[in-house]
Amino acid sequence: MNRLLRMSYLVAAVAGVGFFVMSILLLGVWPGRTLEHEIRTMSPRHPLALTASESRGRKIYAREGCAYCHTQQIRYVASDVARFGKATLAWETIFDYPQLWGTRRIGPDLSREASVRSADWQLSHLYAPRALVADSIMPPFPWLFEGAPDRPKQEARDLLDYLETLGRDRALAAPEGEAHALAACNNCSDDEKRFAFAPAVLNANPARARRRGDSAHLVPSNDLARGQQVYALYCATCHGARGNGDTPGAAGLHPRPVNLTEQDYTLGRLGFSLWNGVAGTAMPAWRELGVDDLSAVARVVRNFQPAQAEPSIPAAVLALGERVYAARCAQCHGEKGDGNGSAAGQFPIAPTNFRAQRPSIAASLRAVRNGIEGTPMAPWTNDLPEAELSAVAYFVRGFWTGGPNQ
Amino acid sequence: MSDQPASAASPTVETSLVYAHGLAAIVTLLISVGFGVLASIEMLVPDLVGNTPWLTWGRLRYDHTQGIMLGWLGNAFFAFLYHGVPVLTGKRVTSLRLGQWIFGLWNFAVVAPGWILVLAGFSQPLEWAEFPLVIDAFVVLALILALVQFLPPFFSRGLEDLYVSSWYIIGGLVFTLLAYPMGNFVPELVPGARGAAFSGLWIHDAIGLFVTPLALAVIYFVIPAATRRPIYSHFLSMLGFWLLFFLYPLNGTHHYVFSVIPMSAQIGAITASTLLGVDVILVVANLLLSLRGAGLIPRDPGLRFVATGTVFYLIVSIQGSVQAQMAINRAVHFSDFVVGHSHLAMLGFATFAAAGGIIHAWQRIPWARYNATALEWSYWLLTAGVVIMVSDLTIAGLVEARIWQSSAPWMESVRAARPYWLIRTLSFMPIVTGFLLLLAGLVTGDRGAGLRRVQEEIGLQPVEEIAPRLATEAV
Repeated sequence: MNRLLRMSYLVAAVAGVGFFVMSILLLGVWPGRTLEHEIRTMSPRHPLALTASESRGRKIYAREGCAYCHTQQIRYVASDVARFGKATLAWETIFDYPQLWGTRRIGPDLSREASVRSADWQLSHLYAPRALVADSIMPPFPWLFEGAPDRPKQEARDLLDYLETLGRDRALAAPEGEAHALAACNNCSDDEKRFAFAPAVLNANPARARRRGDSAHLVPSNDLARGQQVYALYCATCHGARGNGDTPGAAGLHPRPVNLTEQDYTLGRLGFSLWNGVAGTAMPAWRELGVDDLSAVARVVRNFQPAQAEPSIPAAVLALGERVYAARCAQCHGEKGDGNGSAAGQFPIAPTNFRAQRPSIAASLRAVRNGIEGTPMAPWTNDLPEAELSAVAYFVRGFWTGGPNQ
Repeated sequence: MSDQPASAASPTVETSLVYAHGLAAIVTLLISVGFGVLASIEMLVPDLVGNTPWLTWGRLRYDHTQGIMLGWLGNAFFAFLYHGVPVLTGKRVTSLRLGQWIFGLWNFAVVAPGWILVLAGFSQPLEWAEFPLVIDAFVVLALILALVQFLPPFFSRGLEDLYVSSWYIIGGLVFTLLAYPMGNFVPELVPGARGAAFSGLWIHDAIGLFVTPLALAVIYFVIPAATRRPIYSHFLSMLGFWLLFFLYPLNGTHHYVFSVIPMSAQIGAITASTLLGVDVILVVANLLLSLRGAGLIPRDPGLRFVATGTVFYLIVSIQGSVQAQMAINRAVHFSDFVVGHSHLAMLGFATFAAAGGIIHAWQRIPWARYNATALEWSYWLLTAGVVIMVSDLTIAGLVEARIWQSSAPWMESVRAARPYWLIRTLSFMPIVTGFLLLLAGLVTGDRGAGLRRVQEEIGLQPVEEIAPRLATEAV
């Protein structure tokens, strides 16, 4: 009897280890094989591995616990896909030793962070998060910098390089890559197809700046109180409470945030910039705010410009300005001043559309003389005599088509 | 009553190791809680530590959970094992010398250097596995030595009529040794989604194969030892044990519901999670029935902690079953709801069980100090702290989930959570005070006061009477 009992405990011990092994086989090894097959068939042929700098950046991301507040996994659910884009496929994380999926999401998901924001924004944000994002609770990482957000140490540059890899492979593979992956997805459920392939955009991040795209149709708003509230929450860190762009957050940004007291904007221009951001600059898109709030913000922005009587410029000066403009400016800013010159497409930042945006005389003169730092707009003091500089600065203001209700 | 209460309590207990691990447990607990409190304050005042890399949130967060799991619970379970194993088996553990080595390894080759390395920037970004690989090697070594230390008494006694606590001890030690390398090493070798499948297993195994079995070993031990009555049903105990070891490991993938991991694995894990809730109802029913007569808030402080831990175990397990369900998980995953759940598990269930185990063993060290008033206050403050913190985080999670389901800007969810984070931080006051009083309860008061209290209230029993009660199949 005793021997039999002893045997039964041996059986139990084997069964216990069996349970454990079964769990590894069922939930580790077997799903791993399925995933391996999925990766083999759905991955693009040559996904980009991480460079040395990107790998170092990944280690810093791991070391500082970034993954404990930022997930790198867009789940197959509508709310995730709506905020961040197409759900994460298995092959997208094949270079992650170890994985950084994360199980807590205090800040936004970063699976598709590449190309969402400009490098100067990312660096300034790492240096002092609250200088750019009001009420953020992200820890600052000033020790990755030499005392200023635009003086990153190698570690900060590595981390930035790593952030720019997040979602990069899937973006590079599209649309042929998407078609290839979908074709290989023969066992996919409807939900998988719906969340990983069907969404219109790969990267749905509402802050991702884009040069072209639909625009918010803003309406003249009287809700100044709401506008000021939204402005204070989302705009004031960079553009300043009074709109003059002189803030700590602005210090590391190149180009600097626009001084809103020096620019007139049409409602259409504001609608486009707020909805799509200003590609190539730190100005993100604000699609998450919605048209009502953006209209209210536009009211605040337009209120910053002091009402001034326009000076009358002699016709001879304007004629000189027109000649200089045609010779020197139209290639980029366009013959009609609409920013669509023949060379405009070459630049990472779109040239100003003077029909929809009118700089003050001071701002216009400053831009022509000194250029605009951080943009392709060059200083012209060495190429043009003073008379021509001021003439063209006056002339471009005449393209303006805006008015109080436009 | 025996004239020699010390030897009567248990002639073979290495009381110096109970004492050393018990003290180390509470010291590492206070340090780990310190990491957590500072991290929670940094969420309210993010610029607090400015240019000090080693005090930044991420590193504190890593040290908080590793310290709780390995420092506090590890030491607390060891302290209990040095009392429980000899009582359960009537045999000495393998060697006092080996015990000193395990103590040294665990605290000075694992916990302390692990903390320092994480703060210095050497870590791995894996949940419940944040200590760097070099530390993991020492954990594995210490776990092997622990098997050598604690298993031979069971085998030399014979396995025929092992009490359920013994099974949990054997199971917990063996499966922790098996699961630990899987969680710590495999994701370094298997990338991305495939590695995450193993991480998911480990996240749950850390709780299910290390914390839960050893906490249940304490609970199953202390209840009959302190109430002086056998467990309600030995059959239910064993049924619960086997179901637990069958179901717990199969839960892992529920940490990655709606991920790219194959849906059949997800559904399997969700099913196991549901069944696990049923199993825990079975286990807790057996435990609560065994408490009949002692009440839910018994007078004996060790028993009281254990009883409340049992109730927390029921709540946290049902909560876990519920939040694994797809309809719930869809909304609350990634939110503070889950942080509340893990605090209910570790700070509610496991900590109360571990504290009860230490107190129970401590009372039976004849030369140990003991302060009943401090323990009384400790209990109430900790209970209040857990309830406040977990309710607060649960509500915070629901608020965050609601905002994430809407089209509101992301930052709205951060702003909405702030008042809840403030309350969570404030809940440190009862909790830290409670832990300080727990320490006070064990290092102030008169020497031998614990044992006297046991004698006065329930009468001290010779081990020959305790051990059979823990060993026989009653009912």
